[in-house]
Amino acid sequence: MFRGALSIWGRDMLVLRRGILSELIAVIAYPLTLYLAFGFGLKGYISEVGGVPYPLFIAPGLISMTAVNAAFDESSWSMWFHRRVQHTIEEYRVTPITVYDIVIGKIFSGFTQGALKGAVVFLVIALCTPFRIDYSHLPAYLLCLSISSMTFSCLGTICGTVIDKPENIGRVQSVVIVPLIFMAGIFFPLSSYPAAVLPIIKLLPTTAVFEGARAALLLGYLPPQYLINLLLSASIAFALAVYTFNRKMAE
Amino acid sequence: MTIAVELNEITKSYGAFKAVDRFSLQVERGTVFGLLGPNGAGKTTLIKMLTTLMRPSSGDALVEGFSVLSAGKSVRRVIGVVPQENNLDRYLTARENLTLHARLHGMRPDAYNPRIDELLEMTGLAARQHDFPDTFSGGMQRRLVVARALVHEPRVLFLDEPTTGLDPQSRRALWEHIRGLRHAMTVFLTTHYMDEADALCDRIMIMDHGASLADGTAAQLKDAFSRAHVYELELRGDGQGYQELFAGLPFVRSVERSGSSFRLTLADEDSLKPLMDCLGGAEIRKICLKEPSLEDVFIALTGEKVRE
Ligand SMILES: Nc1ncnc2c1ncn2[C@@H]1O[C@H](COP(=O)(O)OP(=O)(O)OP(=O)(O)O)[C@@H](O)[C@H]1O
Ligand SMILES: [Mg+2]
Repeated sequence: MFRGALSIWGRDMLVLRRGILSELIAVIAYPLTLYLAFGFGLKGYISEVGGVPYPLFIAPGLISMTAVNAAFDESSWSMWFHRRVQHTIEEYRVTPITVYDIVIGKIFSGFTQGALKGAVVFLVIALCTPFRIDYSHLPAYLLCLSISSMTFSCLGTICGTVIDKPENIGRVQSVVIVPLIFMAGIFFPLSSYPAAVLPIIKLLPTTAVFEGARAALLLGYLPPQYLINLLLSASIAFALAVYTFNRKMAE
Repeated sequence: MTIAVELNEITKSYGAFKAVDRFSLQVERGTVFGLLGPNGAGKTTLIKMLTTLMRPSSGDALVEGFSVLSAGKSVRRVIGVVPQENNLDRYLTARENLTLHARLHGMRPDAYNPRIDELLEMTGLAARQHDFPDTFSGGMQRRLVVARALVHEPRVLFLDEPTTGLDPQSRRALWEHIRGLRHAMTVFLTTHYMDEADALCDRIMIMDHGASLADGTAAQLKDAFSRAHVYELELRGDGQGYQELFAGLPFVRSVERSGSSFRLTLADEDSLKPLMDCLGGAEIRKICLKEPSLEDVFIALTGEKVRE
């Protein structure tokens, strides 16, 4: 059934391969700047958070942030571009594949971009950090990173499907995605929140993404409540993305 | 006769507005069928329903026996589509555009590679196959879209205004391709160009406001309208005073004058003799029956007003 999805994903990977070098430089610049500015710029003011050196404290979140942002960006813009600018979605839709092939192919392209870019930022930070990372923690971290990229790729697909004006995609990013990411404690411990708000913050899918990533990378263990949250968010986002796309195409 | 495309009272409404209104039609296999109509007539809407891009509000259509409502995937397996606007992938080379299309049709490389070579050759794009389509002229892009629609050897080819925006040479070249396809497959095209319909189509349907107005071969359509007896008459001298004379004759339906030439619409052929009689001594330089063009038929049916 997924031959069509595979072909569309293959097309996206071919295009990605062509521009990979410039893309990676652009993608690494941002988290690396944050890492150096916050991790080392603030070293004199914040040395440790809960016994973890500050640069190490923010590293897992920065890597995950790169991944989920890249996944969201790729999915939303690519879907919008193929639907509204090139109308290539119409070309796909007159071939004997289904709308599921199209949406699933697109979701996996976003996921791949996120995972790939996250991995590259991981390598760069690992190379320039003076702290030792325990590589036996990697599987738990990669699991967390993958599920998160999947969720954000699905969210991006939904935006790219329902939003017609490009400026509105930018608005969703700055009004919904960025606050959700920063509220989730990439740069500060969740214990900074007042006790009354904390339970709500802990339920955010992004908290699971970033707190989960930190726990996984630093402790080698993904707390069950975060794992469940991640899986649930990914499943809901996936179902919603497929449903939304299907509905939009039936218009 | 075997039917390739069949429409049964198909309707598409946008709110209260009916873009296509209970449209029925049968197209015989192996023919080139042309759908003519002014802007907004509903041609694209009709093609979108036939190619499963749009669901009819009511009614159904069969393409090679498959229903667009219940067997969309089977319909898509046997059709090729050239949309009104080129929808090439500008991040893929010409050849990669064709390859992706072949893959989406489930073709294997040993099947699609020779086919793509052949199509690139036929459309004269072989030398540019590794270039990106946005470096192509409009005519080349159009040919690439046509080639893409043919990769999987469809049984029914839909072309929505295939030659709009092309220069006369490119248009003729594309006509040649389409003529070459005749009999091998059914071709369903829309156009604004009467000469195109005249040159290409075995059967023409003129539609407006979502409904069919006339249907037949180009010759039949012109024939049906040649019952209007329009004559062109040219007099020696400046033709002064004749306009009133003609307008006063009971068997003259209308008169248009430009200098010493007149265009007269007569009631019937028998009016010719009395016309001659009353011209009397006037010197006639030329008189001829004006054959209606397909364009005259089109304008007569759809009116002269420009659509918004
Ligand atoms: N999405 C839509 N919403 C509302 N009305 C629409 C929509 N799409 C098309 N229409 C209307 O349906 C009518 C038929 O449009 P269609 O595109 O089928 O015309 P057409 O015959 O292809 O015209 P053209 O020769 O200009 O391409 C038009 O009046 C158009 O305004
Ligand atoms: Mg149209």
